[in-house]
Amino acid sequence: MNMNRRDAIKLGATSVIAAAAIGVTGCQKNTEVPSKQVATMANGNVIGKHQVVVIGGGYGGLTVASELKKENKDIDVLVIEKNETFMSCPGSNTYLGKLNGMTLDKFMFDYAQPVEKYGYSMLHAEVTNIDRSKKQVHTAKGVVEYDILVLSPGIAYDYENQFPKWSKNKVEHIRRSAPGALIPGGEHLALDRLLANMDDGNVIITVPAGKYRCPPAPFERACMIATFMKKEDIRGKVILLNPSDKISKGAAFKESWKELYGDMIEHVDFATITDVDTDTKTVTFTHKEALPIEDKDFDEPQFKTVEKRVSYSVLNLIPNNKANPVITMAGLEVTDDAFHKVVMNGCSFQTKTDANVYAVGDVVGHAIPPSGQTANWAGKQCAKEVAAQLAGKKYALPVAKTPVSAGNVCYSMVGDNPEEGILVKHDFSWNGTVIAGKGYVPKDEASGKYRSRGTAKALRDWYRGITNDLFS
Amino acid sequence: MDRRNFLKVTGAGVLMAVAPSTVGTKLYANDGRLFTAYERVQLLDASGAPIKASQLKKETNYVFNYPYKSTPALLLNLDEATGENITLTSEDGQEYLWKSGVGKEKTIVSYSAICSHQLAHPTPNDSFLQYVQKDKKTMAYERSGVIVCSSHLSAFDAKRGAQRLSGPAAQPLASIVIEVAEDDSIWAVGVLGPDKFHEYFKSFKPEFKMFYDGKREAKKLVSISAPTVTLNEYSKEIIQY
Repeated sequence: MNMNRRDAIKLGATSVIAAAAIGVTGCQKNTEVPSKQVATMANGNVIGKHQVVVIGGGYGGLTVASELKKENKDIDVLVIEKNETFMSCPGSNTYLGKLNGMTLDKFMFDYAQPVEKYGYSMLHAEVTNIDRSKKQVHTAKGVVEYDILVLSPGIAYDYENQFPKWSKNKVEHIRRSAPGALIPGGEHLALDRLLANMDDGNVIITVPAGKYRCPPAPFERACMIATFMKKEDIRGKVILLNPSDKISKGAAFKESWKELYGDMIEHVDFATITDVDTDTKTVTFTHKEALPIEDKDFDEPQFKTVEKRVSYSVLNLIPNNKANPVITMAGLEVTDDAFHKVVMNGCSFQTKTDANVYAVGDVVGHAIPPSGQTANWAGKQCAKEVAAQLAGKKYALPVAKTPVSAGNVCYSMVGDNPEEGILVKHDFSWNGTVIAGKGYVPKDEASGKYRSRGTAKALRDWYRGITNDLFS
Repeated sequence: MDRRNFLKVTGAGVLMAVAPSTVGTKLYANDGRLFTAYERVQLLDASGAPIKASQLKKETNYVFNYPYKSTPALLLNLDEATGENITLTSEDGQEYLWKSGVGKEKTIVSYSAICSHQLAHPTPNDSFLQYVQKDKKTMAYERSGVIVCSSHLSAFDAKRGAQRLSGPAAQPLASIVIEVAEDDSIWAVGVLGPDKFHEYFKSFKPEFKMFYDGKREAKKLVSISAPTVTLNEYSKEIIQY
């Protein structure tokens, strides 16, 4: 504990100096200093060394840090996180829906309390490079050295591959005017502002292709935006453009859409967004349509692809996801899908590439859902492994032998007045290749419906509980 | 008889030397094995009559607040005798011994109803944490007849000191140490195991205002007697998966 405290102070002091140096340079050369030059200057200084460095202060990273300190308070842990305040993505659709009491302060947290309580250190800086051969993490505030590195950096958007014809300026423009709001912070505020100011018209939500964070999010968001429009007397539809026909908790969402919102929520499957015109407020997409019966000379149903346009009042373009660039910086072996998840070392949260590098959260190459609860679970497992490695002991994850019941519980809010929710429970087990989740979406016994008021209450309690675990 | 069992649990510590009756209304004792003695209070029904051990309905969730005015506890008369001398472990590795259920058939148990994971608990509005009867199903565990927290789906073994069976909880629910007196009345005397009262008081200030006239009242210790009702009477809505 004492040693830690001292290390934290050392690091803090050096950080201040590094930051000051940047400030001076910035003044002398005005704002024309290339960011690379500033980064290089700061990068040269080694500002601290820690037994465990965790990149990312979200659901996964914070859990690893606090659990490591619970395992052994003498383990010296540093969390590197670029944001000074935390905003939760889980639950945030209820903020967009303006549900009772779900105001911004329910989603914002400061890091002061957990840092004080558990005694890990925190550096607010952007990671610029990782040098595994020297066991160094380069940040905008200087270099940090590690014995063990844990990566929990979350996602990044993949506009470049999804819209290869778009210029950088167009990507930035779309990012501002049709925010994805799958990475919490300003994008949520922007989307909320667009909704607050909208006139009658449609809200279009585009579902990412491939693997993405929080698979039920677009579908829950459709419910929450529809309920907001009803409350605000906005006439229009919520249209989901989905590049596949897969809907997380699909039967449960379809039941709620139909029974709570009638034709107000429209789900278009096999609809892939190709372009956006923000002047005319039009989305262009390709739609794979089944051919009419009389055209069928084949056994299999045949499709034709047609280009379509639809106008919007508010566009929530949720781009395709990829692993945060920190993963590329680390040069780890990744899966060959477009997301590039980290390939794990068997039934473990250790990476296959480097025994001193671990990964949790969105980037994990196991077949478990990328949710806040799963990141929390994975963080706990990972901390046990890291603590064992530091102590020179062997440790096998319990899931290798015994399936984990309710490793993930994921709620979605579907209605307001009265609040109603749905849920999926995942059990985790080791299938010989990856840790895999098996989902189960229950119905309410009394009503025979997937959605219930009780589940909505459970959602609120789940959210209170998990944020309590991280921040109090 | 039960009294003696309970004393054994605490070892030859402070309690053996000082009987509760000799120190007036309060006794705090901590022998380093996760036991705290609180005021000995009698469980009474809604009309103020003593709860009788032999009249507790089987497999029914009863709730009383103990040891604080705002901290709910479950009282259960299980369908069969509990296990005996169960060694339990708290999240931080401390071991403690849970002796057994009490009553003639050793079927009566009591646990703090604040989840050891993230503090879900019964309130006058709703409850996420309760015993799931054997003829009902739960998503949290392969069989029912267990205590389930439906907020994050943890299951606890009601017959074995609320030992964790599955889910994200990392330790048992704390036990409320109870005694059945010769006249069949039931008394709560202390808390065994890792309780969550400190975190609870930090986390639910708005709730204390709503239900207990604020945090000061909520943090007061229960004295003399504790009203005990069924969970259906305690909470408007029971949420169970």
